Amino acid sequence: MKRLRYFIQRTILSMIQSPLLSGATIGTIAVALMLLAFFTLIVLNVQNITQQWSRDIQVTVYLERVPSTNKLEQWQQEIERHSVVENVTYISQEEAFERFRTRLGQNDDLLDGLLPEILPASFELSLTEEARSERGAENLVQELKKNPVFSDFRYGQDWLKRYDAFMFLLKLTGTLAGGFLIFATLFIISNTIKLTIYARRDELEIMTLIGATPMFIKIPFLTEGALQGIIGALLALGGCHALYYFFLKKGLSALLTTTAASNISFLPVPLQLGVILLGFLLGICGSMLPLRKFVRI
Amino acid sequence: MSMIQMCKIAKIYPNGAPALHDIDLQIPSGAFAYITGSSGAGKSTLLRLLYCADRPTRGQILMGKRNITRLSPRKIAFLRRQIGFVFQDFKLLVNRTVLENVALPLQVQGIGIEETRARAFELLQYVGLEYKMQRKPLELSGGEQQRVAIARAMIVRPKLLLADEPTGNLDYNLALEIMDMFSRINKEGTTVLVATHDQELIQQNPHRVISLKNGHMVSDSGPDTANNTGTQNIREAL
Repeated sequence: MKRLRYFIQRTILSMIQSPLLSGATIGTIAVALMLLAFFTLIVLNVQNITQQWSRDIQVTVYLERVPSTNKLEQWQQEIERHSVVENVTYISQEEAFERFRTRLGQNDDLLDGLLPEILPASFELSLTEEARSERGAENLVQELKKNPVFSDFRYGQDWLKRYDAFMFLLKLTGTLAGGFLIFATLFIISNTIKLTIYARRDELEIMTLIGATPMFIKIPFLTEGALQGIIGALLALGGCHALYYFFLKKGLSALLTTTAASNISFLPVPLQLGVILLGFLLGICGSMLPLRKFVRI
Repeated sequence: MSMIQMCKIAKIYPNGAPALHDIDLQIPSGAFAYITGSSGAGKSTLLRLLYCADRPTRGQILMGKRNITRLSPRKIAFLRRQIGFVFQDFKLLVNRTVLENVALPLQVQGIGIEETRARAFELLQYVGLEYKMQRKPLELSGGEQQRVAIARAMIVRPKLLLADEPTGNLDYNLALEIMDMFSRINKEGTTVLVATHDQELIQQNPHRVISLKNGHMVSDSGPDTANNTGTQNIREAL
């Protein structure tokens, strides 16, 4: 109990007695983790938004002739059997004509005198998430083509190509920048802690001389590192939240032409806890390595 | 009874530099001895072997009846709790008060805070610095800092006090004051071993003098000079 009180006391006193070193460590952890958390926040939101875009990906199968009710059900079931098909909607000629009229807006008088029969009936197929790509759509089309009734397909090939390229670029940038950021964060934090412990190497030497056991010397440094890590992580989350609120919520919406700012969300609670845990672990592990070097009895 | 016995001690540093050669030495309990010699003679290395900061390349060291040549880090820590240290550069924690510095060795041993503070205050009275107990070391003069270091060394009631050039940073009068303090500590029963190259200081406070030159013991003279029975005792102890 005396020991525990000593360690707690030592941890807090040490931070008060060396405000510059503690401040530098906490500040570095806070800035580094804030960058990492903010990057994660951007990636997650971009992912969310692009996922919403991908819901618009669909394959349209135009029918040469209007099927009977029986045939319609039969074809619909045949399409639904494909595992990548999430939903099938039949669009009759009348519905297609109405849609066209709506799209024409003020120019809908162009359709005056025309009948719905000018437009073909169709099936609109929405795809499961994993199939929402150019390749996914093409594979489905190849499968559907086995039935000669389905001959005319539209799935926004050009748009899909651009979407795939964008997603590839996003993933590549995310992986490279994220990997670099994680490495830089670990490097900066571990070196800052190493420097602060190096600055206190006299203290470590004196403790060994007066008969402190290695664990007795290390524990206050480790708890101090852990506490600094947690404080740094909390500051990082606070800073990240400020950036999210004042910059990201409107900035990213405008950038990605998403009208609803409410679509941009902050880090989910498990990730916030993850940032705190990361700060805690970085504080402990960052302290442990230099202590192994400097505490030599 | 012997406090320290060294038998055929040699120390060669990992870079190949020899520091000590075949040192046979016996220091009785309650003795006061100087280890002297010019820079690089091996004085500090000899002390470092005694508080297990280094291990001898060859030979054995007994402290009391205990062989301290190959101790685990934990056992070294416990051994050091029975030794007081005083260094030329004081080795005080600059961000803690004088009282906290003096109390540190007892804190490390898990002694209660009340007892620790009372004993630290007692020791500060002993060295005449109780009125500066809330100051930080850098607010004190060199002589005062060394007295704080002595108080810290004495708080554990050590059987052995090791001092490595304790007056190296002090002027002559302060150095004499510190040496008087060591003599007083010695008279109270603590074995004192002082490494110094200051011959004038040795002449002012005559005690046994062990002289080293290039890692060899070249003379052992003065009061308390022990018969060299170290080898025999070590063999018995082993």
